[in-house]
Amino acid sequence: MKDIDGWKSVLTDQDRAKKYREYVTGWEKKIGSLLEWKLPEAGKIKSSEGILASVPFAVKDNIAVEGFKLTCGSKILEYVKAPYTATGVANLQKTGALVMGKANLDEFGMGSSTDNSALQKTNNPYDTSRVAGGSSGGSAAAVAAGIVPFALGTDTGGSVRQPAGFCGVYGLKPTYGVVSRYGLTAYASSLEVCGVCARTVDTTRTVFHAIRGMDGMDQTTIDYDPVSPEVKTVGVLKVEEGSLSEEVAASYRVSKDRLNKLGYAVKEIEIPAMEYVVPAYYTIATAEASANLARFNGMRYGLSPIFAESPDDLMRYSRNMGFGEEVKTRILLGTFVLRSGFQDQYYVRAQKIRTLIRQELDEIFTDCDVIMLPVFPTAPFHHGQSELTSFQQKQADVYTCLANMTGSPGLAVPSTLEKGLPVGVQFMAPPCGEERLFTVAEALEKEFPAPRPAGYSEEWRA
Amino acid sequence: MSDTMVNDKYETFVGLEIHIHLLTESKMFCGCKANYGDEPNTNVCPVCLGYPGVLPTVNQKAMKMGYTVARALNCRLSRKTYFERKNYFYPDMPKNYQISQFQEPVGVEGFMEFEYNDEIKKIRIHDVHLEEDAGKMIHAGDMSLQDFNRAGYPLLEIVTEPDLKSGEETEAFLRAFRRMVRYLGVCDGNMDEGSMKCDANISINTPGAGLGTKVELKNMNSPRFVRRGLQYEAQRQAKALDEGVKLIQETRLWNENRDITESMRTKEMANDYRYFPEPDMPPFCPDDSFMADVEKEQVELPLARKHKIMRKYGISSEQAEFIHDEKVNADYFEQVMALGADAQAVYTWLSSDVQKELNLLNMTLTESPLSPERFSELLKLMDDGKISGKIAKQVLIDVFEEDRDPSAIVEEKGLSQISDPQAIGAVIEKVMAANEEVVKAIREGEQKQKGFLVGQIMKETGGRAAPALVQKILSEKLR
Amino acid sequence: MNKEELLTTASLALLELEEGEVDRLGEEIARMLDYFEMMTKLDVDGLEPTTHAFQKTNRLRADVLNNNNNNNINNAFNRNLIMENGNDVEDDFFVIPNVL
Ligand SMILES: [Mg+2]
Ligand SMILES: [Zn+2]
Repeated sequence: MKDIDGWKSVLTDQDRAKKYREYVTGWEKKIGSLLEWKLPEAGKIKSSEGILASVPFAVKDNIAVEGFKLTCGSKILEYVKAPYTATGVANLQKTGALVMGKANLDEFGMGSSTDNSALQKTNNPYDTSRVAGGSSGGSAAAVAAGIVPFALGTDTGGSVRQPAGFCGVYGLKPTYGVVSRYGLTAYASSLEVCGVCARTVDTTRTVFHAIRGMDGMDQTTIDYDPVSPEVKTVGVLKVEEGSLSEEVAASYRVSKDRLNKLGYAVKEIEIPAMEYVVPAYYTIATAEASANLARFNGMRYGLSPIFAESPDDLMRYSRNMGFGEEVKTRILLGTFVLRSGFQDQYYVRAQKIRTLIRQELDEIFTDCDVIMLPVFPTAPFHHGQSELTSFQQKQADVYTCLANMTGSPGLAVPSTLEKGLPVGVQFMAPPCGEERLFTVAEALEKEFPAPRPAGYSEEWRA
Repeated sequence: MSDTMVNDKYETFVGLEIHIHLLTESKMFCGCKANYGDEPNTNVCPVCLGYPGVLPTVNQKAMKMGYTVARALNCRLSRKTYFERKNYFYPDMPKNYQISQFQEPVGVEGFMEFEYNDEIKKIRIHDVHLEEDAGKMIHAGDMSLQDFNRAGYPLLEIVTEPDLKSGEETEAFLRAFRRMVRYLGVCDGNMDEGSMKCDANISINTPGAGLGTKVELKNMNSPRFVRRGLQYEAQRQAKALDEGVKLIQETRLWNENRDITESMRTKEMANDYRYFPEPDMPPFCPDDSFMADVEKEQVELPLARKHKIMRKYGISSEQAEFIHDEKVNADYFEQVMALGADAQAVYTWLSSDVQKELNLLNMTLTESPLSPERFSELLKLMDDGKISGKIAKQVLIDVFEEDRDPSAIVEEKGLSQISDPQAIGAVIEKVMAANEEVVKAIREGEQKQKGFLVGQIMKETGGRAAPALVQKILSEKLR
Repeated sequence: MNKEELLTTASLALLELEEGEVDRLGEEIARMLDYFEMMTKLDVDGLEPTTHAFQKTNRLRADVLNNNNNNNINNAFNRNLIMENGNDVEDDFFVIPNVL
């Protein structure tokens, strides 16, 4: 029986539903992964024949689900209810799956810890003093804790893969455009995509195929034209001494050994433009964000001052009160790099660098079926910025934002536990090479399944 | 105020930014109805309200109309066009950026010809680009009411080079432009309803010195106001230069109640639109079949049409002006002509009696019961002497009222002309017998009284007696 | 970036920074811009900018209304929630302050 099938009676069987509710409540007290959740009553579930019939899942709270809030982890949208449903979610609902809650995140997806959520703190299920990663920290934590078999997240620069790595679950960033962005609150439009956090490779694959598809509401969606799923050669990114923490470096070595053991041809690779990836990424991401977040002005919805003398005041107060400092910083940065006189130096140059990075990756994929690289240079860190400052956290996006710059798919795979904390490893494939990622991940999963945090239980499942 | 007062001393440069609302079913980037006058905020959806997570999708018809206009304006058409975000905060603009075009608009470097003072003028077109409209604010005391029905309405902006030389010329150009977009069927051109808007920039300078300090003029919602705004502004600038006052680059609003332009006092903030390519929509590269479709949308443009009509049917410039003003009317005219008619007669009837009926019934020619066939038949009945001009006017009214062919009306009501001299003679004798006194007076030299007899004869025949025959036979009998 | 540039940028972004924010955010932005300077080391001549993730072209939407049942796309929405989200709604207008 597939892992996901055990979830089909969790909501429809009264007894299980009760135990499930207690289980969710118990975990939520510890990790705070969900901003809002409600289990449908057993009797109210329409019988469904779909492949994910009655399976509950969580959705990152920057993805619209009609009737649920759409806070984006921000004060400015704290009380806003989504009047429509994202295409990816709607596609899942067609398979019978049920949204049970909205997962916490860094405000507007800006961060790597979920500490930037203005509404709630989310803890790592393995150690509540540590972060779950971000920005899809709530999604990853909920899956790791067994609250849901899978959750949707968004990945702009690693926001699905990094928290998945931190929480010891699978985290897929699909090929850009293969999954519709309609309903995904835009942070950096040309970089991001709706992704999947799941406990097993099989579930990841099932959900990926359920959510993907050309969408009339998103003209950047593309036809999914899969490349061969076969994997023989794995390019392993050479990582310089000292770039990774001791734990992550150790885990990365283990991952490499495992590939050898599984019989893959392993080839060391280098990406010459790697050092430019982060500055170019942040230039593009913040530039696009500065425009994407301009719509939040307290006029048609969202936080609005009690008193304002003019429309201008209303907009300004609303934005001043509503946005957190990280968001403001990125809006300002993005506004600056687009200003006339600076645009060529920053924004245009970054777009050219993106072209170069793509060329280099294309070259690598001519003789590697997939590549392996770290997810994040450190294991889950403690809350606050004592271990990694906000700036260091951005620099640490280097391994994940690569896939966002090229548009190709990336998958974080749980690798080892280091000092009791999960460390993941990442695989990337050429565009529409998701099946290759699943091939490698499944081979690894067979030998080395995802870990489980203390308190994880399946006893209430079928 | 006249332009010449300024033009003697200074050279005037006027450039226009014309926005037209495209006649599409749905909005530019979402499937909401593109329609005015509905209940507030009914033609809205998450997309045009700028909700988090929504994405724009390009309206195919708007894209085609954009290329159609650019082609008609002789532009170089872009083989790869894309949208950009124009960033600025405005309460009516849901996303606080306008999706517009900048680097690669649908068309650039075109020109438009129009007639002014019997001369053909050529105005260069800088570019033609697609964009979206903002919502509408209704001011109500210390509050504003926002209605986003208009937000996302497809707009086409046409930017001219500063080639226009006066307010009067600009008005003529705008009228010609309006006529052109109506010919193309892309916009109804109603400036008073806001479906066509025009901002102007104007500068004056001593002849040969090139452009002066540019002033942008807004809020002129008719071609007439554009003329008057520009005339006022040219005068104002001339006066300033005469007095040695330095002009400042600014935006001014036309105040139609006071007939003046007024400086728009806004907080001085350097605008920096930070254009960048819209990542939510891929570029559009028109293929051959799209270009062929655009070609199919091309029609004979008003200016060419007018001159063709003048040449082909031998009518005057003023007459052709009337006939070609609306494409459907020009088409109608030519259809009637093809059925065989006299151009002067067609023009005369169209411009007077037909027009009167249309106005009365608030109808356009094409939707009226007077098909070209019926019209041509009516003229033929007159030509053949079957009915008199006077009867024809009655038949015309009947065609409008009864929606039937003129010949059927004439037949059924027995309106055909009496041209049998014996029959007319009999009526005349009857009338003369009944008015012996009058007959006597005429015979004694009072020719004026003859009209009375003619009137009586016409009355007796229900107006159907052939007038020439009546005159002839009556004269004979009075002798 | 000096303070004046920061404030100009903030006004373009419609953000009015408090004094503390000017310092904190200014410092972080300066750090990032320094970091971005690294990009100037790279020779980018001859590289076309990548403005869209994948250059798929010619996606146009047929000019039909949302409620047209022929277009099998996910464009449903709940108008009541839209009006409920409005901070101040009167007679279906969104109400905002006006400068007199
Ligand atoms: Mg414009
Ligand atoms: Zn709409």
